[in-house]
Amino acid sequence: MKLRPQTIKQWRRFRSIRRGYWSLLIIGALLALTLVAELLVNSRAIVVRYDGSYYFPTYSAFMPGRQFGLDYDYETNYRELAASFAEQREAAEANGTESPGNWLILPPVPYNPFETDFLDDAFPPYAPSISTQHYLGTDVAGRDILARLVYGFRLAMAFAVILLLCNYVVGIAVGCAMGFWGGAFDLVFQRLIEIWSNVPFLYVIMIVASVIVPNFWTLIGIMVVFGWMAMTWYMRTSTYKEKAREYVDAARALGASSPRIVFRHILPNTISIIVTFIPFSVATGVTALTALDYLGFGLPPPTPSWGELLAQGTANLQSPWIVTSVVVAMTLVLLMVAYVGEAIREAFDPKQFTFYT
Amino acid sequence: MRKLALLAPLLLFGCGGSEAPPPETDTTTDDAVTLEETRFVDLLPTYDSVPLPEGLEWVTNNEDEVFASPEAKRGGTFNTYMLGFPLTLRMVGPDSNGGFAGYLRANNSVGLVAIHPNTLNFIPMLATHWAFDDDGKTVYYRLRPEATWSDGMPITADDFMYTIDFMRSEHIVDPWYNNHYTNNIVAVRKHDDHTISVEGSTPKPREEILYEYGFGPTPRHFHKLDENWVVDYNWRAAPGPGPYRISHVEKGQYVTFDRVDDWWGNDVKYLANRFNPDEVRITVIRDMNVAWEYFMRGELDTHPVIMPNFWHEKAVGEEFDNGYIQKIKFYTDTPQPSAGFWLNQNDPLLADHNIRLGLAHSMNIERLLTTLLRGDYERLKMHHEGYWDYTNPNIEPRPFDLDKADEYFAAAGFTTRGPDGIRVRDGQRLAFSVVYGTQEHTPRFVLLREEARKAGVELNLQLMDASAYFKQILEKQHQIASMAWSTSLTPRFWEHYHSDNAKVTQTNNITATNNPELDQLITEYEDATDKPTRVRLAHEIQQIIHDMSQFIPTWKVPYTREANWRWVRLPEWYGTRTTDVLFDFMSTANSTGLLWIDEDIKAETLAAREEGVAFDPVTITDETWRLE
Repeated sequence: MKLRPQTIKQWRRFRSIRRGYWSLLIIGALLALTLVAELLVNSRAIVVRYDGSYYFPTYSAFMPGRQFGLDYDYETNYRELAASFAEQREAAEANGTESPGNWLILPPVPYNPFETDFLDDAFPPYAPSISTQHYLGTDVAGRDILARLVYGFRLAMAFAVILLLCNYVVGIAVGCAMGFWGGAFDLVFQRLIEIWSNVPFLYVIMIVASVIVPNFWTLIGIMVVFGWMAMTWYMRTSTYKEKAREYVDAARALGASSPRIVFRHILPNTISIIVTFIPFSVATGVTALTALDYLGFGLPPPTPSWGELLAQGTANLQSPWIVTSVVVAMTLVLLMVAYVGEAIREAFDPKQFTFYT
Repeated sequence: MRKLALLAPLLLFGCGGSEAPPPETDTTTDDAVTLEETRFVDLLPTYDSVPLPEGLEWVTNNEDEVFASPEAKRGGTFNTYMLGFPLTLRMVGPDSNGGFAGYLRANNSVGLVAIHPNTLNFIPMLATHWAFDDDGKTVYYRLRPEATWSDGMPITADDFMYTIDFMRSEHIVDPWYNNHYTNNIVAVRKHDDHTISVEGSTPKPREEILYEYGFGPTPRHFHKLDENWVVDYNWRAAPGPGPYRISHVEKGQYVTFDRVDDWWGNDVKYLANRFNPDEVRITVIRDMNVAWEYFMRGELDTHPVIMPNFWHEKAVGEEFDNGYIQKIKFYTDTPQPSAGFWLNQNDPLLADHNIRLGLAHSMNIERLLTTLLRGDYERLKMHHEGYWDYTNPNIEPRPFDLDKADEYFAAAGFTTRGPDGIRVRDGQRLAFSVVYGTQEHTPRFVLLREEARKAGVELNLQLMDASAYFKQILEKQHQIASMAWSTSLTPRFWEHYHSDNAKVTQTNNITATNNPELDQLITEYEDATDKPTRVRLAHEIQQIIHDMSQFIPTWKVPYTREANWRWVRLPEWYGTRTTDVLFDFMSTANSTGLLWIDEDIKAETLAAREEGVAFDPVTITDETWRLE
């Protein structure tokens, strides 16, 4: 694929804005890492060597404790297994016999976001500690905060991206149609959107949440139903603008059909508008989910969620590590997304010397 | 970014918990309610007397020990708080069932007789004597002639007669009371100005007649009953028979009560030395954590610290170390709310007895109690625990036991586990939804969920908004519901376990229990009027319920824990056997109102705090009424 000179220029411009560029790299790296979060933050071992065989529990079906010589049928507790392997080795050394050669590798954070971990002499929430490997401490139920942050991040980003795609597909389609056809269609849709925009969507979510327990997809559905309008206005005006240009008339004179004009000529020329909005939509999506979870109208417990952590943190200010972790994480992510957005906007700006401070 | 801006105020607002939006507050005096006027009716309704039957055996009880302290001092102001402002000062009708109604009822519930909080015998209140009819459902009362309303009008038999007219009136717009005073209390008769009788619907044992068919007088000079009553009386404070009257209402902000100086109860044996503060101020503070900060500053006199994080983490620091604030843990011996998991037997999986038993052995309540709840809560043994003689002493709850769970689930056909570790039978997973309505309970259920996975059971938590939650349960749409039933004087089996209530919705038989043997015993229990028979039947019924395992009991809190500034005093025995709240200025919870404010100690404490002088720290644990 050969990039247009215009695009190359924009990319160069984007790269020259350092904080936006670096933010994009960091967010990209974080997203890539969360795709394999199960290998980094998980209670299941990455690899177990037991009785001469290798096991890879991370992505496989659950393995009962009996499989590794423990006396139970439920999911192996790999942290305990590691301890028992260590004991075997020590016992072997003490007796001078040959060690059975069992070993396992645990992820760097050996907790999943659901399990409750309790210490013998204290009650949760536990403060951050290297020795217990709760690097950011635990929440009030004894769950690892880092694990919940990581999986909560993945979920929030997935939510934001899917929400964005759905919103844009509907918003762009309707906006383009309004701008392209104009006339009565435009007029009717304008009024419809004005009315629809005035439905308070948070109340709708509260009402829906009181009737059903919302899940990931119902939340997306509700938010798309009440969130697609924002994009229509921008697409409508820019379609109107592009439609009036000579190249559209030229294409029409050559006999191009309406879909061809819209998809091949108008849409590519409005792409800069769409692209500049993307980072801000992502930020909105993440914030919306967090706010809903905070208020208790979001995803059902025990889903790992930033909003739920935030609610816990503000209710337990005497355990400051809860609220600190989530606030810092959220600030950083939103800040980086905003930097990316700022850089994109500038890169796509035809005026070379606009400064955003 | 428009959505962001829209969410921000809501985020802030969300800190206040699930309260309704605060009403507009206005500090001008327009909002202050005028409370002096209490007579709105010129021509009082009067009732005809009917002759008293011959040969009634009048009884009373002045032998039991008093439970208030003779050292109590009258005076001072007691400061407490409520989480929301009441929507009305009425006790019946729309919006009258909020938290504030508890105070109004308490002040009005100085009833005909009361239960002695230690001996559980009946003691005289508004009635000096009572007698029973041979029909087993009628009781006669002799009223205390000196009793008056808080505005000075005498309380007579006509005020009791009027209660029936009032409570049956459609003008109060309150179907529950309409129904209760029509179907439960069948008739009230006046025999002379100070003698009445009450006829209930069904025969009952004597102590239950007094409890079930007891009721209070209604001030007939105050209520002008017409179609505007609900609106006209929304902010009118009714005179009551109790020791306090509402003296000031600042809408959205606070309500104050004043002590009735020459209250008729001052010299009555079981009412003397109680209800001691001269003034009580109840301020609206919409968040418990904020209220705690007010308490630590000394602007509230007491605060409950039952929840483990309050007792262990918040109720510590300088004020406690220096003895300005004291802590008390007081065990009680009283019926326990039945908190636990209610399994709906209409569900095909839960209809299987083996699965219900397996589930009971999959719930690691022991671990929950010792870890998350810090050993502060105790294991509830059964439904209707703590009902004294009525509670079957031989029932023990099923422990967390993976072997037994495995045995029962295997017997139900769930022998293999799927790739996620959850048991499966012909492709059906052993998964249940658990509905609950209290967000604070989420960590507890998260723990139980993780533990239940070990037994191969999946519990899907469904936190619901309170009204949707009750609706789902009462319509029996749930699989497993976590809830706690409140208590009564004796066990109520019919409403919870009789098959009459299993087939229809909107009943309390939320387990859909339908067992002919149980039905038979419950009917016998309902018909029996002598206590030993009822006790024997209650034990048998509880055994069958335990065997059926449609209820998995979780926790109980057989004590109260409270913190108080040291000037708030209690008797040397602190409280009573059945007390719910020690620092209660009225009888909102079981006949207490024992506290008093010591102004001298208050001055001393405030001075000491100013100068940094310390007293000995005080943490009291009283096990007088602890069982076992």
